[in-house]
Amino acid sequence: MPNLENSSPGETEMTPEPSSQPNHELSSPVADVSLKNYKPSTADMVYYYEHFLPFKSIFLWLNHSQATQTDFTMREFAFEYKSGAYQRYNSFHSVSEFKQTVIKAQPTRFEVGAVYPVEPRMRKSVSKVLMKPQAKEFVLDIDLTDYDDVRTCCSGTGICPKCWRFITLAVKIVHRALREDFGFEHMIWVFSGRRGVHCWVSDYRARILDETRRRAIVEYLDVLNVKSKKTLSLKKPYHPHVERAFDVLRDEFVDLILKVQDPWSIPERAESMARSLPDYKLASTLIKHWKEEPDRSSADKWRDVDTFYQQLKIRSFDLQDWKKETIFATMYPRLDVEVSRQMNHLLKSPFCIHPGTGNVCVPFDPSEKEFDPFVDTANLGSLVGSNETDWQKTELKNSIDLFNKFVNGLVNEEMRQKRNREDEKENLEF
Amino acid sequence: MFRKVKRRTDGRRNFDEIQSGHEHYRLVGSKGFKDDLSIYPHRLSFYKIPPFEEITLEDFETWAIDRLKVVLEIESCLSRGKSFKDMEAIMKPVLAKLLPMNLPNRESSSLYLERKKDHYSHFILRLAFCRSEELRSRFIRAEAMLFRLRFNMMSLQEQKEFVSSIDLPWEAVTDEEKQEFQSQLIACSYNAVRSILTQTVEFQWSKKVTDEQIRAFVNAEKFYKIPFEFVPELVSTRQSFLYKGKAFVAQFQQLSLIVTEFSKHLGEQLNVTMRALPTLDEDDRLIPVLNNLSRGYASMDYQSEFGAGESNDGSVTAESVPSLMKHMPLCMNHLMKGVMTEHHLKYSGRQQLSLFLKGIGLNAEEAMRFWQMQFTAGPGSMSIERFNKDYKYTFRHNYGLEGGRINYKPWDCRTILSKPKPSKSEFHGCPYRDMHRDQLANELHKMGLDSGSRMDDVLDLSDRGEYQTACTKVFELTHKDRIDAMLKNGETVDETSIIHPNLYYSRSVYLEGK
Repeated sequence: MPNLENSSPGETEMTPEPSSQPNHELSSPVADVSLKNYKPSTADMVYYYEHFLPFKSIFLWLNHSQATQTDFTMREFAFEYKSGAYQRYNSFHSVSEFKQTVIKAQPTRFEVGAVYPVEPRMRKSVSKVLMKPQAKEFVLDIDLTDYDDVRTCCSGTGICPKCWRFITLAVKIVHRALREDFGFEHMIWVFSGRRGVHCWVSDYRARILDETRRRAIVEYLDVLNVKSKKTLSLKKPYHPHVERAFDVLRDEFVDLILKVQDPWSIPERAESMARSLPDYKLASTLIKHWKEEPDRSSADKWRDVDTFYQQLKIRSFDLQDWKKETIFATMYPRLDVEVSRQMNHLLKSPFCIHPGTGNVCVPFDPSEKEFDPFVDTANLGSLVGSNETDWQKTELKNSIDLFNKFVNGLVNEEMRQKRNREDEKENLEF
Repeated sequence: MFRKVKRRTDGRRNFDEIQSGHEHYRLVGSKGFKDDLSIYPHRLSFYKIPPFEEITLEDFETWAIDRLKVVLEIESCLSRGKSFKDMEAIMKPVLAKLLPMNLPNRESSSLYLERKKDHYSHFILRLAFCRSEELRSRFIRAEAMLFRLRFNMMSLQEQKEFVSSIDLPWEAVTDEEKQEFQSQLIACSYNAVRSILTQTVEFQWSKKVTDEQIRAFVNAEKFYKIPFEFVPELVSTRQSFLYKGKAFVAQFQQLSLIVTEFSKHLGEQLNVTMRALPTLDEDDRLIPVLNNLSRGYASMDYQSEFGAGESNDGSVTAESVPSLMKHMPLCMNHLMKGVMTEHHLKYSGRQQLSLFLKGIGLNAEEAMRFWQMQFTAGPGSMSIERFNKDYKYTFRHNYGLEGGRINYKPWDCRTILSKPKPSKSEFHGCPYRDMHRDQLANELHKMGLDSGSRMDDVLDLSDRGEYQTACTKVFELTHKDRIDAMLKNGETVDETSIIHPNLYYSRSVYLEGK
């Protein structure tokens, strides 16, 4: 492990990266780093649904075929209305019915659920036992609010380029694990519109996972054990996934935590950092020292741990292990376990509008380009302002093109697999 | 098998026709077919086909009781934390007597009979143990262990035949792959291999496992690839190396995989049995047998006479409670320290400790004095008025003196473990589960355990989730001198597992009196 405490002083302060892409006139200047806040009206929503939301793409993504099949018709959709009402168990026979119903109902957003053995809207005509979800994309939800104990720049619903880096890291680590460890290929990541991201894994294999296996995957990924809030204790030697994640985190730690976020300049947080040291004497000496010198930065305090560890000749634990664990505790992806585990959990559809910000929940592909919510998203405010009706000519174009490319890959793979499955079946019948 | 089946011969005939693809069902149903081993091709079984033959009520009962004894013995071994090796030694004679499975070189009719007994007794116990979640999970645990024991008793050839008879998509890992992922495979199986190596003879000598030994073990081990969906427990605990959707599973983990499949199947079947159970009611001869079977099982639990008036000989007083801490298990010790420093305990802590104290003989009157003393003494504590107003009621309630007047029992380990875990300022729960490894080590040190391999054993048990065994181990270590002395004198010592804090206490007091 390199010397984390020796951060080179020559490094510059992290500043929001200027967009490498030419800014089209519709988006606000980059200097304004706060996300746009546009509260869409009902008329805006209808306009958006009529002209912009790519219903056909969403349909293909969930249907896995050009011809309408039960993957779509038995799929649950839920509508959320301006009044706060939430309507579950909608289902549609065709993409046009889907679009017309949304336009007519004017929900502020709609969510995608599981595929059931009957059409969800007919659920009352069958027994409850039958209404067990059969298939659903494996989903992951990462939210910046879960990072409130390490980030110092924002809290709650706020985000800025400084803390968005936590999400970028999380996406990088999770994406690699899903691809390399679990062998999934058809993943799409979606900006949730304000302060988080969702990941949808559409591989057939992922869609038919039961809850035990979904849970196994999130627990594998959830190194921090978010749910039980237990103190992190990583078993040595580290699992390859943990080791690989550490390589990613280590490179960012000095800059993101020690410099940019500087969480341990806040006395309470520094104290709880000290208390996570498994040696009482060391912890209390540090706390005392920091009380006497309150102006020390996170980098100073990180160094202090080393200094006092040496000075007090602590032997009771390995400092390098603790450092590794601390790096995990501050930066490792924080996952919402329940969202991933439950098969009947619903999640906001891509291309919906976040009702609080007016941002479009645009999809992105981290293997091509890191997503920057201050540059890469579209906002309903500017879409409406443009008086444009052709999405090809708006800031949505990139996102819809990207999504279509993803969906095409998925549909083609699905057709190929389906043929194989049917061949196999036929062979068995012989 | 059951009388109702006899009454409904017509129904069974229909069933036979439906199943006509399976030749032997029909044959078993008819007479004169007694020793066909094709029904039981292996000495081990997933018990997928239920029995169809009729048996006498006497066989029904004796076979079931024989298997019950096996199950109980396994349970006791498990709770004492016996190693797999010890357990094999203990169980071998037991199995030979109660559920023999002889080598397949015997006359087939005798083999048929012993396999039939195994088959039928398994299904009878399913009926007895399907009734509650707790019984089901304990039955699965014991049966899975029996399966494991028997698997290991089979010859390599038999094991191979059995494994290939189970339809799982194995794929052997090639030498090149093994070479390529060597470090990953070692990292993932390190701890499992380590615990295997601690059971070898070599370890008894050297008392340590080196990295080289582990490396050599992994290099010699055969690995298989299987879709990760088949090994969710190896995935969730990160004990398996994953690559492109396949989990790399070592041969020694293969058995655990098969056992997982076995347990899963048994779990599903027990649920099915439970739902079908009401239809059995029409046979009045079976119900009492089944009831007795499952009750005999439950009575293995720690029985003690807790009651407001029963164990109150007045020897335990508000003042003497702190001096009894040396007899208390760590959970209660922790609570005692908590109440003595904080002068307060939150709800779950109050419940856990006050019912425990009630169990050791602190009567209601002394209990009120004890709690008032603790809550109102010391700097920053509450006033007596506040205690009387806000807390007295709950303590009296625990003694059945208020409200529903229920005589609450002290919590056993299971109850304690089923409550929400303690948050920062709470002291309840099970320290072996809730404390951080280092804090636990610290506490164990205070109890007199030196920080050597013994301490590590306890910590590892806690890490593995075997909290009761960890606690039992601590009891054995802290009372080692007295236990040894008693054994030397030829006295018997109860060495069963601690399943109740009050059991820990009463045993400790008992040993001190010796």
